[in-house]
Formats: sequence, structure tokens, C-alpha cells
Amino acid sequence: MDYTKLKRRSSYPFETIGVAVAFSPRLEALLAEAKIISDAFGGQLLLMHIGERTRTKEARLDETIRKLHIDENKTRVIWHEGNAVDTLLELCKLNIVDLLIVGAMQKENMLRYYLGSVARKISRKAKCSVLLLSQPNKDGTRFRKIIVNGVENAKTVHTINTAVYFGKHLKAKDITVATEVQQDGLAMAMVRESTAGEAQKMKKELTEEELNKVQAIVTNVSEREGIEIFQKQIKGKPGFAIRQFAENRKADLLVINSPDLKYGIMDRIFTHDMEYILENLPTNVLIVHSRVSE
Amino acid sequence: MIEKLSHNDLVILLLAISTMLILSRIVSELGKKMKLPMVMGELIVGICLGPTVLGAIYPNAYNFIFPLKTNPHVSIALDGIFSLSVIMLLFVAGMEVQLSVVLRQGKTAIFTALGSMIIPFSTGFAVAWFFPQIFGMAMDEKHRMIFALFLGIALSISALPVIARILMDMNLFKTNVGMIIIAAAMFNDLIGWLFFSFVLSIDGGSSTHLGLGYTVMYIIAFGAFMLFIGRKLIDRALPWIQTKLSWPGGVLAMSLGLCLLCAAFTESINIHAILGAFIAGIAIGDSVQLREQARDIIHQFVTNFFAPLFFVSIGLKVNFIDNFDLKIVLVILVLAYVGTVLGATGGAMLGGLKKRNALAVAFGLNARGAMEIILGTLALNAGLITQPIFVALVIMALVTSLTSGPLIRKFIEVEK
Repeated sequence: MDYTKLKRRSSYPFETIGVAVAFSPRLEALLAEAKIISDAFGGQLLLMHIGERTRTKEARLDETIRKLHIDENKTRVIWHEGNAVDTLLELCKLNIVDLLIVGAMQKENMLRYYLGSVARKISRKAKCSVLLLSQPNKDGTRFRKIIVNGVENAKTVHTINTAVYFGKHLKAKDITVATEVQQDGLAMAMVRESTAGEAQKMKKELTEEELNKVQAIVTNVSEREGIEIFQKQIKGKPGFAIRQFAENRKADLLVINSPDLKYGIMDRIFTHDMEYILENLPTNVLIVHSRVSE
Repeated sequence: MIEKLSHNDLVILLLAISTMLILSRIVSELGKKMKLPMVMGELIVGICLGPTVLGAIYPNAYNFIFPLKTNPHVSIALDGIFSLSVIMLLFVAGMEVQLSVVLRQGKTAIFTALGSMIIPFSTGFAVAWFFPQIFGMAMDEKHRMIFALFLGIALSISALPVIARILMDMNLFKTNVGMIIIAAAMFNDLIGWLFFSFVLSIDGGSSTHLGLGYTVMYIIAFGAFMLFIGRKLIDRALPWIQTKLSWPGGVLAMSLGLCLLCAAFTESINIHAILGAFIAGIAIGDSVQLREQARDIIHQFVTNFFAPLFFVSIGLKVNFIDNFDLKIVLVILVLAYVGTVLGATGGAMLGGLKKRNALAVAFGLNARGAMEIILGTLALNAGLITQPIFVALVIMALVTSLTSGPLIRKFIEVEK
């Protein structure tokens, strides 16, 4: 397969929007959300079902498409059999999907989480941006309050810009770029050999250094179009702190970078970073795959 | 009849403890002005108060304040305090091991950690196994094996707190190289202490009760239980403890209580108490629910009370002049530098770092600091090593810690 078109492709605009169709009770709500989103971005809709193609399923999908007035000229349906995750991701690559919309449980039961549900596996492995909708709504979710994880990473600038692009088209009110500050090892390094002043100074320096880097990115966001961008510093373990912050702020969308590493079972047992979010979705989550390193 | 501390014994015990705490603090603070680690000040005080200096010049004064050989009551009480100190130190060492940090750094950290353990362990093991006479050790095959295993571990362990401090001072803590060093040191600590507990348990006569297979099985079962299930339970309990109980008394009592409970459990099944404390530290320290302030308080309590007592006590027990053997010191220093630098550099380069940064990482991991001294003390108490080897390990720990910073600076090439 030739994936050269994917390499270094910008994380936005969302020209092709894929939807993982699972024929669950939430199908109609998920497609309603997908319609609103694709209309807002003016993108093509690609409905993908991995599984047996039956008349019942076809009829149900057709009926839902008609009911929701989804523009059939801008919509394609793909039926495919095989491993749900791998096939879906392969189809996304083949069709150069920019955004994949997936319905996801807010929290999986323990066994399912450790074994890995389809939505969670896609989030870990996808080579395109993924929107996890934890509570798809037939009337469409209002993404008014968006929180972006402003970690120190080359991908973050793309993630913030994608969040602004997303917010602009879906009429967000404000975007908060939250930077997690974890002072790993500070206690052990400072506790014996520092005066209170020295420890305080070092804590401040570490915090400010991270904040300044994110501040520089936020300042350079050009197309804000009326969206207010705030910056916030939060303390705690990466992933967990932003999850709690999104929960407490009752955010409508949490935007994060795609993972740098291939996540496996060990990352779920010794939870870190994105796994804290996947463990218990605080809200809808947009995982931005910026393809900067490809 | 139940024996207890007499009025006089109690006075001597309190005098000994206060002397250790006050003098070690004064000397450590003076040393800090000269950029020396605190542990060095504490060791110097121990050497001055112990048989090396005070015992040699004023034996009566030494025997009065530290009657380790003449007053069994005070001696046992002090021994209890020193044992508690080492358990507490291992507990806070465990609190800093965060497996998520290792996983986040990925293959570079894992390769670096493996390289920095396998090569020094192999070289140390081989030299101790084939040339035990260098260390003045004449023993049967079983004890030679245990000694070789110990030396391998002693050379492959690193000192996370020392490394963290060096990186902080050099403003490298949050850099890629800094995080790789930290992650690799955490991994080293975990494997090193697990393995050391195993060596202690097979040597301590416990093998007569348990056997090798059971010892390994118990260590794995206990570690797995605490890290998989215990950690999750602690995650659930901590928010309640931190909000419903008195602050910070509640979290302090519960954390230290759990540490001692785990230590008692591992000791009772003939695996050393340090393993229980270390694993309890990991389970508590890795919890997302543990507040930074709580972590600070536990650290403050342990490292400012128990650590000075422990490090001063080393000098009280060993005569550093009589037991100084230049040949052993040089062999251990060479093995420490060559093994770690070769292994960690190779591992880091395999993990994707460039040569100069790989060398910087290796010199970072070469700092042994307090962890080596704790390890050596436990081995000495268990009869695994002789006093000259212990002295050589202490010197190696200090030399590697002092040279680590300048050598990192010499090789590092990072964008901050």
C-alpha cells in the first residue's frame, strides 16, 4: 500500500471523517453527531462497519441515514470483515481519514479494560485523529468548553491548533490549555540538602520553565476567531491530573496528543499518561494525531 | 524476669541518639557549604565518634556514649533503631520508584537500565567467583556463589536520590537525558533490591525452611500482590485517609504502618524486612492519590531523623583505618566505573542515544551514594562480606557520587 499521502499530512482540516459503525443502541446518536461534525467541517463522511454484512444491518443503516438527512452524495459506506481494530485502521489509512469518530463507554469493566475494547485499542493505535464520544447525543453535543493538554512535546503545537480549528467550526466558547506540572523526584532530591528557600526556588523554576514553553505556543496561535484561550497550570501525574481537571471543569471536550509510544498491557497495569484518560473518560476526547514524526 | 532499660541505660541511649543527630547535622551542613553530600558528613561523624577516632583516642568516652559491646541493653536498643532506620530508608527509596516513568521513557530507558545492570553484575560476579582471594575471601562454593552474587548486585545498583539531586543542580532534570537517567535508575533500584532480598534470604539460613524455589516464588507473589492489587487498594483508600483523618497525621501513620506491616510480613516468611518496606514504598509512592505534601512529609521525617542515625551508625561499628585495603578499594572502584560506564553507554546507544549523551547517562547512573552504603551495611550484618570490602564499598559510593556531576557535565549535549 502507498501511504505517502499520509506522511506529514496536517492534522486538519478534516476532509474525510470516518465513523466506526457498530450497530449498537447508540448508532443513531453516533451518526447524528457525525453528521453535525461533517457538516460543520464540510468533510466527506465514511461509514465503516467491520463485520458480517446482512440485510437487517443494511436496512437499519439506510433507515438511519435517511432519518438523519445525511447527504448521501457526501457519504460512503464500507462493509468489511476481519479484525475490527486492524481492519478499521487499515481502512482509515487507505481512505486518508483525517478524523475517526468512535463511540466509547465512559468506563469499561476491569477485564474488558485490561483486555482492550475496540474503542480503546483504536485510540492507542490509530494513525489519524480519533474523536471518542462517550455520550453521543441525537441532538448533537455542544462543544462549548474545550480543554487541551498542553504538555511539553513537539506535537502540542499541532494539537492546540487542531483544537482551535475544531472549536472554531463547532462554536466553542473557550479553550483552556492546561499544563500538567509533576515534580517527579523533587522531594527526594531536595528534602535532605536544601533550605526551604532553595527548594521553593527550584520548584518555581521547574514550573515556570514548562509554563513558558506552552505560553509561547499559545501566543502563536493565529486564527482564534473569537475563541478565548486561557492557560492553566495543574499539578499531578500526567494524564491523571488533566482527567481530573476536565471532570471538575465539566469540559465538553478534552484534546490530547496521540501517544508517543506503543501502549501495551503493562501501560494499563502501571497506568500512565493517556491510559489514565482511557481508563475513565472524563468527557468526550479528541486524540490528535499530528504525524509530525512521520 | 522481663529485662528492661534501666534509668542509666535510657540516659545513655538518649545521649547517643542526640549526639549522632546534632553532630551529623552540624558537620553535614558545613560539608554542604563545600558542595559535599550530606551523607558524607554523617559518615565522617560516625567515623569520628566510632572506634576509628574516638575509640582509638578516648576509648572510655567512646564506650560511655556508645557502649555497643559493654552494655547489651543499650546495644540492642540501638540495633533496633538502626534496623528501623534501614527499613524506613528502603521505604522512601521505594516511594521514588515509579514504574510509569520507566514505561514512559520506553526502550531507551529499559536498554540503558539493562546495560547498566548486566555488565557490572557480570564483571563483578566473574571477578568475585574466579578471584575471591583478591577480596581476602576463602570460603566454600555456596558462600562463594552468594558473595559473587552480592558483589554483582552491589556494582549494578544506583542511587536515585543522589542522581536526582545532581540533575536538579545541573538543570537537567526535565531534559530527555535527565529523564532517561532517572527512569533507568528506578528500574535498577527495583531489580537490584528484589535480587538482593533474594540473596539475603538464601543466605540467612532461611533456605533450610523455604528452599530456593519457594523463596523466589514468595518474592514474586508478594511483589505481584502489592504492585497489582495492593496498589489499587491504596489508590482507593488514600483519598479517604487524606480527607477524613487528621492531616498529616493520618496519612503518615497509615503509610508508615503499612510499611512496617509489609516489612514484618516479609521478615516472617524469611525474606528480609527491607523487601516488604521497599515494595510498600513503591505501592504507596506510585499512587496518583498521594498528595505531594504527604510525600514531602514522609521524606522529611525519614531522611532527617532515620537517615543520619543510620549513616552515623556505620562509622560506630567499623574501623575505617584498620579495615582500609587499597587493593580491594582499587579493584572495586575499577569494576564500578568500567562495568557501569561500558554497560550503560552500550545500553543507551542501543536505545538510540548518541555516544556523548550515552556517556553522560552512564556517568549519571554510576553514582551509588547512600543506596550502596545501605546495601553494604546489610551485607556486612548478614555476614556476606568482610569489613575491608565494606569500607571499599563505602569509598566507592562516595567517589562515584562526587565524580558523577562533573563527568555528566563533561559529556552532556542536550537542548534544555
